[in-house]
Parts: sequence; C-alpha cells; structure tokens
Amino acid sequence: MGYEPLVKKNPLRVLNLAGNNKKMGLIMARAGVGKTALLVQIALDSILRGKRVVHISIGENLEKTKLWYDDILEIILQECSVAKPHELIDMVQRHRMIMSFKESAFNRARLEERLNDLILQDIFKPDCVVIDGFDFTTMDHKDLEDINSLMESLRLQTWFSATSHREDDRVSPSGVPAPCHELDDLFETVVLLKSDQENVQLEIIRHNSDACSGDTYHLSLDPATMMVKKDD
Amino acid sequence: MNKDLEKVRNIGISAHIDSGKTTLTERILYYTQRIHAIHEVRGKDGVGATMDSMELEKERGITIQSAATYCSWKDIDINIIDTPGHVDFTVEVERALRVLDGAVLILCSVGGVQSQSITVDRQMTRYNVPRIAFINKCDRTGANPERVVGQLRDKLNLNAVMIQLPIGLESELEGMVDLVTMKAIYFDGDQGDELRYEEIPEHLKDDAEEKREELLDAVSMFSEELMEAMLEEEDIPEELIHAAIRKGTLDLELAPVMIGSAYKNKGVQPLLDAVEAYLPCPTDVENIALDLDKDEEENTVSNDSNDPLVALAFKLEDGRYGQLTYVRTYQGVLKKGETIFNTRTGKKVKVGRLVRMHANEMEEIEEAGAGDIVGLFGVDCASGDTFCDSKINWSMSSMHVPAPVISLAITPKDNKAQDNMSKALNRFGKEDPTFKTFVDHETSETIISGMGELHLEVYIERMKREYNAEVEVGAPRVAYREAITQQAEFNYTHKKQTGGSGQFGRVAGYMEPLEEEEYEFVDEIVGGVIPREYIPSCDKGFQASMEKGLLIGAPITGVRCLINDGSYHAVDSSDMAFQQAAKGAFKEGYKKAGPVIMEPIMKVAVEGPSEFQGAIMGSLNQRRGMIVGTSEEGNYTVVEADMPLSEMFGYSTTLRSLTQGKAEFTMEFSTYKQVPKSVSEELIKEYEESKKNG
Repeated sequence: MGYEPLVKKNPLRVLNLAGNNKKMGLIMARAGVGKTALLVQIALDSILRGKRVVHISIGENLEKTKLWYDDILEIILQECSVAKPHELIDMVQRHRMIMSFKESAFNRARLEERLNDLILQDIFKPDCVVIDGFDFTTMDHKDLEDINSLMESLRLQTWFSATSHREDDRVSPSGVPAPCHELDDLFETVVLLKSDQENVQLEIIRHNSDACSGDTYHLSLDPATMMVKKDD
Repeated sequence: MNKDLEKVRNIGISAHIDSGKTTLTERILYYTQRIHAIHEVRGKDGVGATMDSMELEKERGITIQSAATYCSWKDIDINIIDTPGHVDFTVEVERALRVLDGAVLILCSVGGVQSQSITVDRQMTRYNVPRIAFINKCDRTGANPERVVGQLRDKLNLNAVMIQLPIGLESELEGMVDLVTMKAIYFDGDQGDELRYEEIPEHLKDDAEEKREELLDAVSMFSEELMEAMLEEEDIPEELIHAAIRKGTLDLELAPVMIGSAYKNKGVQPLLDAVEAYLPCPTDVENIALDLDKDEEENTVSNDSNDPLVALAFKLEDGRYGQLTYVRTYQGVLKKGETIFNTRTGKKVKVGRLVRMHANEMEEIEEAGAGDIVGLFGVDCASGDTFCDSKINWSMSSMHVPAPVISLAITPKDNKAQDNMSKALNRFGKEDPTFKTFVDHETSETIISGMGELHLEVYIERMKREYNAEVEVGAPRVAYREAITQQAEFNYTHKKQTGGSGQFGRVAGYMEPLEEEEYEFVDEIVGGVIPREYIPSCDKGFQASMEKGLLIGAPITGVRCLINDGSYHAVDSSDMAFQQAAKGAFKEGYKKAGPVIMEPIMKVAVEGPSEFQGAIMGSLNQRRGMIVGTSEEGNYTVVEADMPLSEMFGYSTTLRSLTQGKAEFTMEFSTYKQVPKSVSEELIKEYEESKKNG
C-alpha cells in the first residue's frame, strides 16, 4: 500500500508491540497524559497495515472521537508527503468504525451483540478493537476474563485504556497500578505513560506476559502527537 | 422608533420539528401585545398560528419560510426570525442565521436533542450565534429537563447550565424557580399573563440551593468580581450574576438553559427577560463586509446610523403588494423615498414603502436605523444582495451555498399551468439560491434541482397552491458529475474544406485534475502560434465541453486546461474554428485522462431505539453506505453513515417497516465521491441505451 513509512514513528512499531496475536493489551496513565492519543495511534498503525479497527469510546461522543483521528492524521500528513492524501483519509475511514457509548449503556452483553451485528451481517469485520474509557474500578477478575474469552472467540486483538489515580498507590507485583493491579495477568502487554516537563515517557512494564524493565522498553514521546521523539 | 441599539435584539428561534417553535413564537407575540388572541398550530378555529403564513405550512403543521416579525418587550425591540425546522431547507436556516445576533434553541423536554437540533446547532456555531436554550413541553408525560441538559452537553458540546428549576413536571408543572433571584414564579390568569413571585416551595429549597451553586460555579469564570464575591461568601448581587451569564453567552462559552411549556403558557415571559439580559444587541456582534472597490478588503460594519448605508436582503416573499424584501441594515439609515443601489447588479433603486413586519400584517414606517430588520416593497433583487448608498460599494460576505444534488423533470399539465409555472420558478430561483431550474435542450423538459426530495416536493406543492400551476413530476434523478483523475495531453487539428470558406485550427496542451475549483484555463501560448484573438475561443470551447461529459453526459468538474501549442491559417481560422478545435482537443484528452463518475454523498444520521441498531446498520450497509459510527445512550442509538444519495430513495419507507416506525433519519449533503466500478458501468450502459432510444 505504500503507507508503511507513515507509521515509522509510531511507538508501537518502534517497540514492535503490534504483533498479530489476538491478546489483550492495556495502556495506563493518569488523566490527561495521552491514553486516547496512544490508542488512536495503535488503531492507525493497524489501519495503515490494512486491518480493520473498531474504536469503542465510552463516555465520549462520536464527533470528538472522529476529531482525534482527523487531528493525528493531519499531523502525519504534514510530516510525510503522501501522493494522494484523499485516498489515505478515505482508507482510514473505511477501515475504522467508531462506537460511542454512554457510560451506563456499556456492558459485555451489549458489546457482544454489537460486534456480532457487525460481523454476522458482514457490515464490518474488525481485526482489532480499541476500548477507551472502560471503567476498571467496577470490574472484577471474572468480568474481565469474560471479555477476554469473548474477544478470543471473535479472534480480535484488544487494547484498553485505564486511568490511574494519584491517591491510589496500590500496585501489582509486576508494577501495574490500580485499578488494574489485580487484573494484570489477563493482559499480555501493559504500557505505562507518564508525563515529565516536555515529553511523555512510555514504559512497557509487561510484555509477552513477563515483567520488563530497562531501556529497551522505554521511549520518549511527543505529547502533541504521541509519536516517538526522534530526528530520523 | 427606538434608536438605542442596546435595546435591540435580532433573534432567531430554531428547533427540531414539533418541539413547539411556532407555538412559542405565537405566545411571545401574544405577551408582547402584537396579537390579541392565541391560535394553535393545528388550530381548531381554522386560523392557524400567525407566523406560519403559507397555506402549505398550515396544512402540514410545519414552518418552511422564515418570516421576520417585530415586537417589543418592556423597553426592548425584538425582531424574531422564524427559522424552518427541517434539514432540507437548511439554506433558509443559514440565511436567517446570517442576520441574527442571537438565538433561542428550543428543545422538547421528552425528545431532547435530536439530530435536527445537532445540524442547526452546528450551523449556529459556524455563524458564531450566541444562544440560550429553552426546554419546552415540560408539561408532557416523560418530561425530563435534566436529561436534555445532559444531551446539550454531550451531543452539542455546549456548556449548558440551568438557570431555572421546574416546580413540578409533566401534568403537575406549576411554574419555575429562578436560580438567579431565588424566587418561585407562577403564571396566573387564563393565558398566564399574570406573573406571581413567591418564596421557593419548601420541598425544593435544597435542590434549588444546590443547583444555584452549580450555576454560580459555572458562570464565575466569566467574572472576577463574581468569583471574589463567592470566595468571600458575601451576598451576591443579581446584576453580577446576570452580567457573568451574559458574558459567557456572548463568548459562546455558556448556554443558559430555561424551561417551560409554551402551550401551557408557562415560562415565556422569563424567556423574554433572558433574551434581553443574555442575548447580544447588534453592537455586541462583529459583522464583516467586503469592499468591492478595494479588492474585497474586509471591513467591520460600524452599526452607526450616521455612516453610509449597508443593508443585506436576506429573504424575498411574494405578497399581495408585489415583492417583499426583508433587509437587515448593518449601518446607516434606510429612508423611505431615498435611492439606494444594489452592489451586485450596480442598479439604483428607490425605496418605495418601508414596513415593519408582523407575519401577515405590516406597519408602515419612515426609516430604519442600523441593526434593524424591516421589509421593503417594490425593490427588484435576489436574496443575498447588499444595498448601499452611493458613497460606498460594500458587499456582505458571500454566503455558503451548496450545489444541488437532486433533480426532477416537471411538465405543466396545461397551457395555463405553463405560464404560472415559469412565474413560480422565476420567483423560487430568486428566493432560494439552492433551488435551480433549467431546460434540458435534448428533451425540452424543465428540470428543477435542489438539496433533497422534500426540498423539491415543497416547491412543487407551492407551485400548485400559490401559483395554481399543476405539474407532472418525473422520477428524481441524482446529480452525477464527471471528473478526470490524471493528466493527459491533447493535440487536435480541426480542419474542414467542404466548399465555401474553410475552417482550420490546431490546439495542443494538456488537461489535469483540479481540486477545490471547477475549471481553470491556462494560456501558455508563445510566439503567437495561436493568435491572441482566438485564445478566448479556446477557453469557450473547453468550457462548452465541460457541460456534458462523455461517460454519462453529466457536467464535468475540476479540470485545468492548459494550452501551449497550436497553429492557425491566415484565411481559414476563425473564432468558430478554434472553438471546435478546443472541443475536439478536450474530447481527445478526456478519454485519456481517466474519466470517472462522481456521485453526491450524504451525511445520514438515523436515530432509533437500540434494539434496532443491527437492523439499521444492515439496511445502510446494503445501500452501499459507509458506516462512520454509532452512539448509544440508554436505549437510544444514533447511527451515522456516509451514503450515496442514489441509494437513499425510498429509504424512509424501508426504515419505517424495519423499525415499526420508531426510527427517523436526517440527511445533509456532504461531498462528491467517485462511484464504484460496477455502478459506473451500469450508469454508462443506461446512458448509452437512452441515447440510442432517444
């Protein structure tokens, strides 16, 4: 397709996280650091490789979610020249579907119903699902296992975002903060975002179900775009 | 006449169908003593509400045309522009928005924010119109103003804050608590004319305190004084709160929410007070005019009656006394008997009669100052024209006019209808820039085109009712276009020597796709290989070719034609010969330039109960739609999709049977896109067959 160069600064690509496995991943950060932006990057990375993504937005409306994509695409297009930008934008639209839910309207049964609506009627066959704004505080291990098995049965790769809070210092042995500290074994990959003065620091604290540490699992991101800060 | 501009409000009332806009307007006119009896929209007395002046509107219970009407409340002059509530008439809405300074957004307390409201709100944002929301029909079963406020925040991204609290709801609606003054308001008398202020009922006191806190929190950021007063826990003066709400509203950062029931005569007078207190006067709003003598330099209009006149004609109507033109003056004074000129046509016109409009009745006036909205009689113009006096040549910035996407062939039933039809079409074309009409040279049919099926239906109805022109209507047709996708060269020689004077011309160059613009002609001829006088002939030849594409005969758009070579003959070359050569060259290049068919894509929003979401998506998917996304709230879902217009014919019937009539949809033109190959082949086949047969 020729869109590969566009994603070379995508953090997923750099860290080689975006595998083909159908497991669950998690992005954690405090409010306002850039979870949604990173989820959109994950989605775009998949889309530009020709996959289809369902973006589930809980508590945020459709219009705003669309804007996230438009903004980040615009930045990508500014940085790299694309012969036919319209075709790229069109392709992103065709490979993406946004479902927004009011907090109270989202639950596992509904998720299953919606995904089945899409797949069985042959409307849209997703390869990847990103779920933004999922409330982990009301979730126990069993609930998440349920979702995990649903996604596995549909053969979908799934990424979640979760908000951690300053006042809650509970942490799992592998370093996953609350509210996901007791759920960490269900995720194949856990990414932590922290902001310092200028950049956003990305740290992988769990990968291939192993705890990780060290520089290989660490990146600095541009807070505006959530893309890797590098000159090349 | 009131010349103090601070005492003028030009407001629009805009809403979803059936949220009670006309009823509310009617009540406003009643309380401001413009009318002396209240008629209902679907009145039993056969009179109908005063604002719905067109018969058709009365029959359908919907408001199509935006009539301007004047009233005064306390010492304030209010001009109300009644705006249409259906999306197919959005040009009407947009034109009305252009002349408004502020607006009241009416919402139904049961239906809440529906997709129509979203469209209208988006337009208001585009024109920077400050607004207050009025949650109407609080007397209805299922009324839930708080839910509507939530929707205003979520769906419209408005910083909506309630400034009133209902006392009772549904059939128990008694009145409301004003959270600024902390008083309960009741409406006594048969028509609710007598306001009674009381202490807040005991059971609502805590709630009111809490809501007032919320209100103060939200508005304190617009006033430092207010913030200080709150920090020091002083008694907060009402004026301070009013000023903060006003500031927030004018900055488009806040949308105060009022509640009531127009039908039950509750909450209308406080709404009028809020219009005065929070909506802008003409000097609060900046309006830009373009100076046509200085290459469209931007100027801010002064709103000063002593400056030269600038007035905008925003609406035409055929009345009993000839054409009535609604104008808004932006600066200067419009005086009866004076000569003004139309900056579009350059023609001078004399102001014959000047009237202040109240729907069907009018009041003669001598002059209208800056910021006013009045009617003019006997002035020939199109809507959107700017009038100035001879001192300046300004034009109010052009309005966004979308291209028509659908067309219909109409044939008059008899000779009489023929005459009336042309009169009607002439009038409609002037009134509504999105309504176009032309005669197809090949079939000699009259074609009308516009923004949607309903848009055209309404004009056909109006033709019948107002002009007594019965017409037969053909099947609706989508306005396809053709475009090219790649650069292609041409080099064409037109030569004819069959007795008499010959014809000769050679044109060479290339064509390429052009984004944004429709057509561009570039002349790079050097050394006079095509003589100067024939260059415009080439341009003409190209333009003529653009009218009808070679694939399906649809107009071609987005082409740059560049000529850089050619040759001529001293005797045989002529204007005609070069036009023909250019046409031949265009044909030659077009075939190589990867021509494609483009179709109008509509932004469609279907709303309905969640249980039907799968069915709705399936139905859109079957119609070549691209589903953009869905949003779910409780048991209610909106599915958004980009749909080809050609697939939307008859969709309302499908949707109804699919969802037991519980879902509705709106659509709006979005863009033109290339049609898929299979459809394109089909269209080309159809076109070729029709050519063979006809």
